[in-house]
This record gives sequence, C-alpha cells and structure tokens, in this order.
Amino acid sequence: MSDVSKQQVSEKVVDLMVDSIFRKNGIKPDELKKNLSDEQKQMLKEMVEDLKEQVDQFNKRNTELTDE
Amino acid sequence: MAVYRSSRDMNNYTEVHHDCANNFSEKRKHESSNESRFDYNFYNNDDGTVSQDGGEYAYLEQESAELIWVKESCDITINTTNTQVGVSLQAGLQLAIALVLRITIGDSDQGEAVAQDLIQQFDMTQSNRQKIYIYNTKDATVTTTDTDLAINIQVLLQLLLALIVIVDIL
Repeated sequence: MSDVSKQQVSEKVVDLMVDSIFRKNGIKPDELKKNLSDEQKQMLKEMVEDLKEQVDQFNKRNTELTDE
Repeated sequence: MAVYRSSRDMNNYTEVHHDCANNFSEKRKHESSNESRFDYNFYNNDDGTVSQDGGEYAYLEQESAELIWVKESCDITINTTNTQVGVSLQAGLQLAIALVLRITIGDSDQGEAVAQDLIQQFDMTQSNRQKIYIYNTKDATVTTTDTDLAINIQVLLQLLLALIVIVDIL
C-alpha cells in the first residue's frame, strides 16, 4: 500500500480519466476557470487541503496499526 | 451498477391514466366538449417515453458490518474508532467532489452528464464483514481496520485533487 510508485501510476490514470470524461462531454477546462470567483477558489482550496490532511492522518494511523 | 428502465412499468402507468381519463371525461361530458376531447388525446397517447432514473447519479453501495462477540472473558479492549473515522472521511470526500463539480460546471445537463460519467467510472461496490469472537481470554486488545475503505478514500482523494488541478485551484 505504501509504495510511492504505485500511487503515482494511479494518479496519472485518474488524471487521464477525468480529462477524457471532460473531453467526451465537450467541456473545456479553460471555460471552467472563468466560472470561479477568487473567493470560491480560496474556499475550495482550503476544503481540499483540509480533507487531504485528514486522509493523510487516517492513512498514517492505519499503517501504524497494521505494523504493530 | 443499477440502471433503472421504466419502460415496462410505463404500460401499467398509462393504463391507470386511461381509466382515470375515461371516468374523468364521463363526469365532465356535459360541461365542455372541448375539454374532454383534450383529455382524451392527452391521456390516450401511447407513445411512452423511456426515461433513465436519476437515482444512478450517486450510486455507491457500501456495506460494513462488524460483529464482535466477547464471551467468558475479562479486561478486553476493543477499538473500532479508525473504521468509523474512515466512513465519515469517505462521505466528506464524496461531498467535496460533488461540490466542486456543482460550482465549476453548474447545474446544467452537461454538468450532470459529467458527474454521472465520473461517478460511474469510480463507482465501487464493497462489502466488508468482520466477525471477531473472543472466548475465555483475559487482557486482550482488539483494533479493527478496513483496508477496502482506506483504498477507497485514497482513490476519492486523487479524483478530487485531479478535478481541483484541472480547474486551476491548486
């Protein structure tokens, strides 16, 4: 689970998949950027960072528990 | 994956309305002939429309069941907190993904199509059952974890990050 290489591969897969789904539905990322105000961007950024932190902590605790 | 098609039910549905329409137009017959003709045309239209149920939109099935049985033992410590934290974390991530899509693409049909595609690709069905039986034991500590959940959370986080990067927030 903790393999760094594994994570990077799946990250690319996810990126590619999201990109292809956007393409399929005719959505251009450049247009999406215009829909967001700076305030919204800031809020979403904080939300995502918060969640990322929580996930990291969760994973850390999980590996600690399985290593015991 | 559950795809609901309502074409079969549509027949029953039309028939019910058909009966209603007959009763209805009989009652109203003396009032206005134009109106009853309209009802007749409206309710006797057999060109059923096949619609896809919107319930598919966020279909994610998950089952997590734990059974812990302690019998004839003492001083047993059981810790299931981490599993519970994982479940709520997963819900938070799903909510965040929906939120990002809603804000960026909006409530249009296009947005819904993208959301449906995304959720379908990352749809996961998982079932996790743990049974722990402790018998005739003293001073034991049991901690439960859910590996499926951990992987799920990782994938959802990556999806969220990918979306965020595409719309240029990070």
